[in-house]
Amino acid sequence: MGTHAPILAIAVPLLGGFALPLLARFHKGLRDAWAIVVALFVSVCAGYVASRVLSGEIWIYVLGAKNPVDTLAPGGFPIRIMLTVDALSAFLGIIAGIIGPLMFLSLIRFLPEEEGKTLSLTLATLLLAGIMGMAYTGDLFNFFVFLEVTSIAACGIIGFRTWTSRAPEAAFKTMLLYALSGLFFLLGVAFLYGEYGALNMAYVSREIRGTTVDRLALALFLSGLLMKAAAAPMHFWAPDAYGETPPAATPLLVVNTQVSLYGLWRVLFTLYGGVLDRGVGWLVVALGLLTMVVAAFMALVQTDLGRLVAYGAVSQIGYMMLGVGVGLVALPGKPPYALVATQGGVFHMLNDALTVGLLFLCVAAVEWVRGTRDLRELGGLGHSLPEVGLCFLLSSLALAGIPPLNGFASKILIYEGSFGLSPILTAVAVLTSILLLAVFVRAFQGAFLGPRVEVGKKVPWQLLLAMGILAVGIVVFGLVPGFFVEKMVGPAAEALFSRSAYLFAVLRG
Amino acid sequence: MGVEILTGQGFWHALVWFAAALGVFLLSLAIWSMGRREFRRGTEAELPFVSGERVEDARVGAPHLYWGFAEALKPFLERLRNFHSGFIGDYVGWFAVILAVILLLVMA
Repeated sequence: MGTHAPILAIAVPLLGGFALPLLARFHKGLRDAWAIVVALFVSVCAGYVASRVLSGEIWIYVLGAKNPVDTLAPGGFPIRIMLTVDALSAFLGIIAGIIGPLMFLSLIRFLPEEEGKTLSLTLATLLLAGIMGMAYTGDLFNFFVFLEVTSIAACGIIGFRTWTSRAPEAAFKTMLLYALSGLFFLLGVAFLYGEYGALNMAYVSREIRGTTVDRLALALFLSGLLMKAAAAPMHFWAPDAYGETPPAATPLLVVNTQVSLYGLWRVLFTLYGGVLDRGVGWLVVALGLLTMVVAAFMALVQTDLGRLVAYGAVSQIGYMMLGVGVGLVALPGKPPYALVATQGGVFHMLNDALTVGLLFLCVAAVEWVRGTRDLRELGGLGHSLPEVGLCFLLSSLALAGIPPLNGFASKILIYEGSFGLSPILTAVAVLTSILLLAVFVRAFQGAFLGPRVEVGKKVPWQLLLAMGILAVGIVVFGLVPGFFVEKMVGPAAEALFSRSAYLFAVLRG
Repeated sequence: MGVEILTGQGFWHALVWFAAALGVFLLSLAIWSMGRREFRRGTEAELPFVSGERVEDARVGAPHLYWGFAEALKPFLERLRNFHSGFIGDYVGWFAVILAVILLLVMA
């Protein structure tokens, strides 16, 4: 089974998702158990793939060949569909592998049965499959297909609460913008296919010359993926979408956004790494700064706890863009600070998934017991829900980059790495973190402090368990960041700079 | 093992931070212990002080926090809110603007 782990990580949730409605007809408990088993299976596959890939190997899995390592068809052309898993792809797989089971654990209890729980679980499973597909594929068209799979599944989950007016509206807006993003990406793929007659990323990357058509395709890829990654000023859909999704499901939407960012890195570093101008790197840095600042200020004026956390999540996208953008600007010379900043940006993807994931689960717990997320009505929950309050405080501090938590470990790499390029970048990033701290202190004070408020319901143990695991992750990743940087983050960041190794693994020369 | 990360300009070590935090905590404790000792729990000293009137159950809600800060930035924040209009046409418009910027940058 190990030989086929990369494809199983995609195929099992893809088929398993469609099996959910069938199982639900027999027994609801069977359906819930199946959803968790599928997510755990993906985690095991992602872990196994990572254990091989993070040591430096690039795992190629070819579909349609007699031997799954035969990358070239007779004639020496990479025509078959191919999964190309390097350290960065494996890193994204790990993020999905951590968040997936925890999200399902909380989701099976959080969603009411009479409100289309089976369909929602099916969509979440398909979303997981799409995320794994985007992370592992080495083929441009397949990347587009999985991009669409995630878009459709995500929009279904966003609009899950059809009885409210806001959720379908948020889903519609997101769907339109995702469709635009997918269409632009597809157009870019079509341009490159028309020019080079191939869809394999490594092959196209080797052939790319920076012609007008190549540049046009780059513009289409950039705009499409920046939109899906919620970079300002194309982030407007994200707070609407995150805010209206059942909060227990939102952590996987966050991973979905991150995997779009991964697609952007793949296009810029691997596909166009040989012909890229520094100006594109500066654009990513500028949009990163804009994203973090705009989202942090918008979070300041929110009165809905879900939307506040959503803006906090968007601001973190800006930090990732800043970190990796600095690496992109410095790509030709590759000074030491470029690798540090890129490590920070990559590490922050994992840390963001944990902190924002925990924040959304806290929002789910608050909504579960109080039936509202309005900060004007909330307060005093810390007395009756101390564990939720503690988790909210912990994740807020981590998101704001307070030591010794995980958010600080990645942010210090971003701060010091970007300082090498320009101290102004670091100053903006640090000031934004201070603003975010203020925002989340306000949220904590509003929801959890104040006179005691009696609550009628208890938070389900499944939700508390998922929150506890994420909280432990936040502390552990913060206390021993060196271990994770050395074993996971370092190889993942190095993979971005190792374009030649990626090409060699596929094209054998 | 694995506690330290090198940042290029220096390093980060969680245990060093804990040692520094412990030092700050002990110093704070020492300063606190030199304070006056009249405070008693359950007395009027615990009541919030709001404009000189005695108010039981007074609570400053989340929207009131940083009110002055938000008020000072109101023109900027209002403009920022207006950008987040909720109209899909505006969202697509911004997408078109960014696409134009990218095209200018990439094709130049």
